[in-house]
Amino acid sequence: MPREIYAYRCRKCGRLHYPYRMVCKGCGDNEHNEFDPVPLPREGTLLTFTELHNLPSDFEVPTLKLGIVELDGGLRITGQLDVAEPVVGMRLRGTVEVVRVESYDRRHGMVFREA
Amino acid sequence: MRDVFVVGIGITSFTRLEYPLSEIAAYPAMAALKDAGLRRVDHVYVANMGGGRVNHQTGLASAVVDTLSLTPAGAETVENGPASGASAIKEGFLAVASGMHDVVLVTGAERMREVNNLEATDFVATLTHPLAEYIYGVTLPSLAGMFTRLYMDRYGVTERHLAMVAVKNQNNALLNEFAHLHQPITVEGILDSPEAMTNNPYVAEPLRFFDCCPVSDGGACVILASRERAEALGGPLVRLAGVGQATDTHCIHEREEPTDLLAVRSAAAQAFDRAGVAPSDVDVAELHDAFTILEIVESEEVGFFGKGEGHLALERGDTSLGGRLPINPSGGLKGRGHPVGATGVAQAHEIVLQLRGEAGERQVDGARVGFTCNFGGFGNNVVCLAFVRES
Repeated sequence: MPREIYAYRCRKCGRLHYPYRMVCKGCGDNEHNEFDPVPLPREGTLLTFTELHNLPSDFEVPTLKLGIVELDGGLRITGQLDVAEPVVGMRLRGTVEVVRVESYDRRHGMVFREA
Repeated sequence: MRDVFVVGIGITSFTRLEYPLSEIAAYPAMAALKDAGLRRVDHVYVANMGGGRVNHQTGLASAVVDTLSLTPAGAETVENGPASGASAIKEGFLAVASGMHDVVLVTGAERMREVNNLEATDFVATLTHPLAEYIYGVTLPSLAGMFTRLYMDRYGVTERHLAMVAVKNQNNALLNEFAHLHQPITVEGILDSPEAMTNNPYVAEPLRFFDCCPVSDGGACVILASRERAEALGGPLVRLAGVGQATDTHCIHEREEPTDLLAVRSAAAQAFDRAGVAPSDVDVAELHDAFTILEIVESEEVGFFGKGEGHLALERGDTSLGGRLPINPSGGLKGRGHPVGATGVAQAHEIVLQLRGEAGERQVDGARVGFTCNFGGFGNNVVCLAFVRES
C-alpha cells in the first residue's frame, strides 16, 4: 500500500484539518477518535517558499527548498520542494518520501515537484 | 486589581558569557535588588526556555532563589518559548495585582552559546510542529523566509527595507553598552557593494545574514511591587499598566491569512485596553525583531501604523531615534541580542530605563508611555506589555 499523509475530517461537522488535532476547530466536538483520516490531495499551487542555507545537522545537503502548498480543495501543507526554480503560483505534485533521517529513524513527508 | 510598579531593573551584557546559567539569571537580579534598595522579595519567577535541553539544568528557579539567598520565597521557572520573559512578567504582575504578593522578582536568562550555532538553531526549531514542520527541516529562519516572501509580494516590502531595519537597530545598539553587536553597518555595505553577497549571504531566502538576530547569552531582571511598597521605596514610579496575551495556530500554513499575525494584534489590543492608553500615545517601543521583517509587521499589528504601511513609516524615519515613535532604541533582538528566555525581560528593562529618563545617549526625550511585544514561536504565543510613567 502506498504511503499517504492524512487530513482528518470531523465526523460531526465535516471540517478537514491538517495536521491532526485532538478537538475539532470548527464545531469544538471533543469526543475521542471522532475524526476520519482522508488522504491529502497530491496536487496544488505554491503559496510561498524559501531556500534554507543553514540546515539542521540531520541534513547532508548544501541547501534545502521548503514551501507552503495550497492543495486542491483548500487545505495547505508545508513540505520540501524538489524544484530548480520555484515560482509562487506554480502547479506542483507531491509524493511521500523520506524527508529526514534522525538517528536511524526515517521520517516520511511530502516532497513536491513540478506537475 | 491593584496597580503594579517596576521598582528595580538589572541586566547583563548580551554576548557569549562564560559562567553558568543560574548566575546569568542571578547577576541581573542582584543589580535589580540594589537598584530597588531591597534585600527580600516575596516570590521569584525565572524565565528560561532551554536550560533542560541546552545546559542540562532543570529546576532553574530553585537554584536561582537559593544562590541569591532569597529562600524560603516561592520560586518557579516559566517557559513560553521566546516569549518566556514577558510571560514571567505577566505572572509576576498577576501575583502583585491580585494581592497575593507585594514584591516579586522576575529574572530571565538563557545560555545558548554553550552549544554551536547549528545545535542552537535546532533547539529553537523544536518550537515548530513536530510532524507537519520540523521533520522537513523547518527552522525559525525558514518560517520567517516564507513569511517575508508573502509580505514582499503583497505589500511591496523590499530587501532594502529589511536592510534599513538592520542598520537602524545595529546603530542603536552602538549606544547600548550591554548590546551583543557593536558593529556599525550600512545599507550599501550589506546590500549594494560588490562584497554584499559575501558579507551578507542568504540564510533563508529572501532573508540574509543581517536580517537575523544573533544567538546570545544574557540575563535581565525587573522587580514588581504594589503601589504602597513602590511609594515607600521612593524611586521613580513606572507602572506596568497593561498586559495582554494571545495565541495562534501552531503551523503557519493553517492560518487563514498567512500574512496576518493575529496573536500580536490581539495581545496588543488587550494590553492597550487594560492600560487605558492608545497606540498613538506610545512614545517608545521595543518590538520582537528576531528577523527584520518582524519589526515592520509588528509595528502594524500592534496598531502604530496601518496594515502594509510599516515599511513606509520606516522609510520616513518615524521609527528611528529622533523620529515620531522610536522602535528598539536598545538595538532590539537584532542588535542587543536574543537570549530567548531573557528577551522579554530585557525589552521591559529598556522601556523602564527610557521612562525613567536614564537611557543616556539613546534617551527618547520626555518618554512617558512605553510598549513591548514579545513574540513566541512564529507568532503562536505573544505577550505585550504597556508601561506608563506616573511621577
